[in-house]
Amino acid sequence: MVTQYGLVIDLDRCTGCQTCTIACKMEHGLTGVSGIRVETVGGSHRDTPDGEYPTLSMSYLPVPCMHCGEPPCAASCPTDAIYKRDDGIVLIDEEKCNQCQACIKACPYDALAFDSPNSRVWKCNLCAHRVDQGLAPFCVSCCEMEAMLFGDIADPSAIALQWASQRNSYTLKPELGTQPSVRYCPPRLARGDEG
Amino acid sequence: MDASMATSEKQVRTVCHSACGMVCGLRAHVKDGILTKVEPADFPEQKYRHICARGLSTIRMVYHPDRLKYPMKRVGERGQGKWARISWDEALDTIAHKIREISERYGPRSLLWCVAPLGGLDLTYASLAGSLGGSFVSIIGDGDSAGPCGDMASFGVVWGDIYMTGFENPGLCVLWGTNPAETNPFMMRTIRDFRERGTSVIVIDPRFTPTASKADQYIRIRPGTDAALAMALINVVIKEGLYDSGFIISNTVGPFLVKRATGLFLREKEVIPGGSEQRYMVWDTATNSARPADESGVAPAIIGDYKVNGNDCQPSFQALIDVASGYDLKRVSEITEIPADIIRQLGIKYGRKKPVASFRGMGMQRTFHGDLAYRAIATLGAVTGNIHLEAPQLPVYELYMYLHGITTCNFMPILKAYDAIEKGDPYPIKFLWIAKQNWVNQLPDVNRVTGKIFPNLDFIVVADIFMSASARYADIVLPACTFYEQTDLIPPINVTPSAPDYFQLQERAIEPLHESKPDAQMVKELACRLNLGEYFKKTDEELIQSLLSVGYPAEMGITMEKLKKGPVKAIKRPNYPVFLTQSGKMEFYCERLVNLGQALPCYMEPLESARKPLGKKYPLVFMSTHTRYRTHSTLANVDWLRQLEPEPVLEISTPDAQARSIRDGDMVQVFNDRGRVTLKAKVHSGIKPGTVNVNQGWWPEHFVDGHHQELTHSVVNEAQSIIYEPNSALYDVLAEVEVVKEV
Repeated sequence: MVTQYGLVIDLDRCTGCQTCTIACKMEHGLTGVSGIRVETVGGSHRDTPDGEYPTLSMSYLPVPCMHCGEPPCAASCPTDAIYKRDDGIVLIDEEKCNQCQACIKACPYDALAFDSPNSRVWKCNLCAHRVDQGLAPFCVSCCEMEAMLFGDIADPSAIALQWASQRNSYTLKPELGTQPSVRYCPPRLARGDEG
Repeated sequence: MDASMATSEKQVRTVCHSACGMVCGLRAHVKDGILTKVEPADFPEQKYRHICARGLSTIRMVYHPDRLKYPMKRVGERGQGKWARISWDEALDTIAHKIREISERYGPRSLLWCVAPLGGLDLTYASLAGSLGGSFVSIIGDGDSAGPCGDMASFGVVWGDIYMTGFENPGLCVLWGTNPAETNPFMMRTIRDFRERGTSVIVIDPRFTPTASKADQYIRIRPGTDAALAMALINVVIKEGLYDSGFIISNTVGPFLVKRATGLFLREKEVIPGGSEQRYMVWDTATNSARPADESGVAPAIIGDYKVNGNDCQPSFQALIDVASGYDLKRVSEITEIPADIIRQLGIKYGRKKPVASFRGMGMQRTFHGDLAYRAIATLGAVTGNIHLEAPQLPVYELYMYLHGITTCNFMPILKAYDAIEKGDPYPIKFLWIAKQNWVNQLPDVNRVTGKIFPNLDFIVVADIFMSASARYADIVLPACTFYEQTDLIPPINVTPSAPDYFQLQERAIEPLHESKPDAQMVKELACRLNLGEYFKKTDEELIQSLLSVGYPAEMGITMEKLKKGPVKAIKRPNYPVFLTQSGKMEFYCERLVNLGQALPCYMEPLESARKPLGKKYPLVFMSTHTRYRTHSTLANVDWLRQLEPEPVLEISTPDAQARSIRDGDMVQVFNDRGRVTLKAKVHSGIKPGTVNVNQGWWPEHFVDGHHQELTHSVVNEAQSIIYEPNSALYDVLAEVEVVKEV
C-alpha cells in the first residue's frame, strides 16, 4: 500500500497559540517566514471575531503545506525541483530550484513563500529529517493544545485517520483535485442551554 | 581530524523561567557552547510536557544584539541615556560604597530591593537585603494581589483556585474574566479535557477572547462588575431554594452567630461563664439555645434571627441572605449590562449542575475592588456546595521562609513603596535595586514614578538583560543573564492546580554571554565587599542544597541528586487542613472587614467608573490585558513574536470608534489626567462598547508616543491592605480617545 504522510488538525482544540509557527522557525532556522501560518477565521484582524454581540464567532486555521497527492506546485515548476517522496512528503530540491517562484503562485493554499534572508523558496517539508528518525514534525511535537496528529493518512488503521474519521474531517479546497494530505476536524458547535 | 574541529553537543534540561505563572520544562540543545534549539522537556507525567510560542522564543533573547554587555554608569541626567562603560569592580565597589553611605545616613531600612523572584537563587537578593537589615518589595501587588486578598479572607490562602476548580468531573465550567487560551495554557488543557468529556463552558468577559471562542456561552459583562453578578447569582440560588444547607453547615461560617450590634461573631465566653474566647456559637435548633459550634449533637440554624443574652444575633448565612436580597435581577442587570434572564439561568445552573468549576482570572481582579469579586464568587461556590474540599499546598512559599536573612527583611508591598520613596511614609527609601522586574514599564502611574518617586532616591541600580525602561533610570546598570546562563531551583508554582506540581532544576545550558553575570553571582560578589559572611561564599549548588535542607523539601526527601535526574513531584502532605482560616471554615463572613462594611462580599462601583462624574470627561474604561505574544514586558523585542504582533494597537468597538470618527488603522491618542499614549486603532466587534484595551507589556519605544502605564493609577485599597496587600488596579482606569491629526 502507498504511504501518504500528513496531518490531522483538530480545530476544536486549536486556540491559535502560534506555537507551531514559532516551532517551525526554530526547527528550520527561519527568521522571517514559517512553514505554517495560523489564520483567524473571524474578523478582519488576527484574534478578532466575526459578527456582532451576541452572535460572535471565531476559530483558527493552521495552514501548512498540504503535501498534496497531486501537488500543483510541482506541476508548475519549470525545473522539476519539487517532487514527492515515496512516503508522500512534497519536497523542494534547492539545487534544482531556479527561484522563479512559479510554485508560490501555483499553490492554492499560499503554502510557499520566498525566504529572503536565506534566498530560497521555503515551505513545510513535514520535518522529513525528523520523520526519517521516527519523530513527528516539530510543530506537532510542540503543539500547545495537542491539536495536531502526524501519520499515514492513507492507512485506515492509523490513529490520525481514525481520529479524523470520527469528527467529519475535511480538506481545504477539495474541488481543485489536489488531494491534500492535511485533514481538519471542525470546531464543535456550542452546546445548547441545557448542555 | 584536527582537534580544534571537534564539536561538542549536549542537551540540558532547564526550565522556562519567564514569570508567566507556569514552569515549563525545556530541553536545551547546545553545540560548541552555543544554544541551538529548545524544545519541551519530558516530565514523569507527560501531560506536563508543554511549551508555548513565548517559551520557544526565549532563545531569540539570548543572542539578541541589544543585550546589555557590560556594566555602565550614568554620565548624563537620569533617563537621558548617556552612559560610560565601567568594570565590574568599579560597579560593585561603587554600589557597596553607596550602600554603606546610605545605610549610615538613613538607616539600613532605606535600602530597597525590587525583585520579582521565581527561582530560589533569585531570592539571594532577599538574603542580601535581610543581612543588611534592608527592605524587600513584595511585587504581587503589581496587578496580582486583589484575588489573593479575596482568597486570604475566604480560605486563608493566597491562591485558592483549587477550591474553585479542583473537581474531577465538573458539571459546568464558568470562566470569570480569564483568558487561559492565551495566558495559562495548562488551565486551558484542563478546560479542553472537560469540554471533550461533554462539560459546557461559559465565559464571562468584556472581550471576546480566544478562550471565549471555545465557550458554549459567552456573557459580555461591564468591566469591574463581577462581584455584582456573583451576588445576584447568590440571590437567585437563595430565592430558588438551591443552596446547599449541609455544605454550608459543615464547611462554612454560615451557622456562626453574628451580633447585629457589632457585626462580630458571638463567642462562647459571652454566653457561658468561663467559656472560650475563640469558640464560635450557633443556634441549636434541637434545644432552641445558643451552643458552641463544635459541640457534638448540635443542629445549627443557618437562617433566622435570635436573641442570645440580650444580643440580637443571626447566623452569618442569614446575614448573607439579607445582603444578597439587595442584588435583584433588575438592579444587577443594570449594573452588569447582562440581560436579567441570562443572570437567572446562570444562577440556576450554579445550583443544579454540581459541581460547577469557577475559574477566576487575574484580569477580573485588576479592578479596584477585585478582592470583593473573588470573595463573592467564592461565596457563590460555598452556598451552592461547589467547593472542592482540598487546600492548596504551596511548598513554594515555605521554601522561601527558610531563606537565609529572610526573617530580618522588611517586606514592603510595592504600592506602599510608592509612598515610602515619595513621602518617607512609613520610613524613607533612598537606595533602590531593581532586578528581574521592570518597574517603569509594568507598574502603574509611570509619570508619578519617574517624576515624583525616583527623584527622591539617592542611588538606583538596575540589573537587566536589556536597556529596559527601568534600566534607563539607573545610576549603575548591570548586565544580567538569561535563564539559560544560570542554574536555579524552580519550585512548583501552584497558581492553578493544572500547573506542574514538580520541583525542577534549571540547569545552566551555556556560559554567561558578554560580561553578564547571574543575579546570584552579583549578590555574592557584592556581599563579599560588605563583609556579609559565609552564606554568600557558597556555590550555586550549595545554596540550592541549603534551600532543600529545611522545611518541605527536607521532609519530602527532595535532594539535589534526585533533581539532577529529573523533576521531582511535590507530594501533598497527609492530614493537611482543608481551610487555613482562623475558624477552619470557609469564611464568607470576614470579621476583620466589619469596620469597612465589607464583612460580607458586596459590590462596589469601580474607583474610576464611567457612571461617576469623572465619566463625563473620560467615558471609556481603559484596560491593558495580557496576550500570548509577550510575558509582561519580556519578549517585546523578540523578532519571532514581533512578526506576529508587530506593534501596539488600541482595541476599540465599532460604535465607540464611529462616535469619535476613528477608522480602523487610524493613529489615536488615549489620555486622561495622568498621561497619554499614542498608537494605532484596531476597530472590531469583539470588545464591549465603552471599553478600550491595549495588550500590555510594550516598551516606550514601541509606541508612537507615551506609554499605557501613564494612564494607570496607584491608589491603595484599604481592605486589601488589611487582609494581605494592596493591588494595582490596572484595569480600573478611565480615559478618552481621539484621532491624532496628521501634522
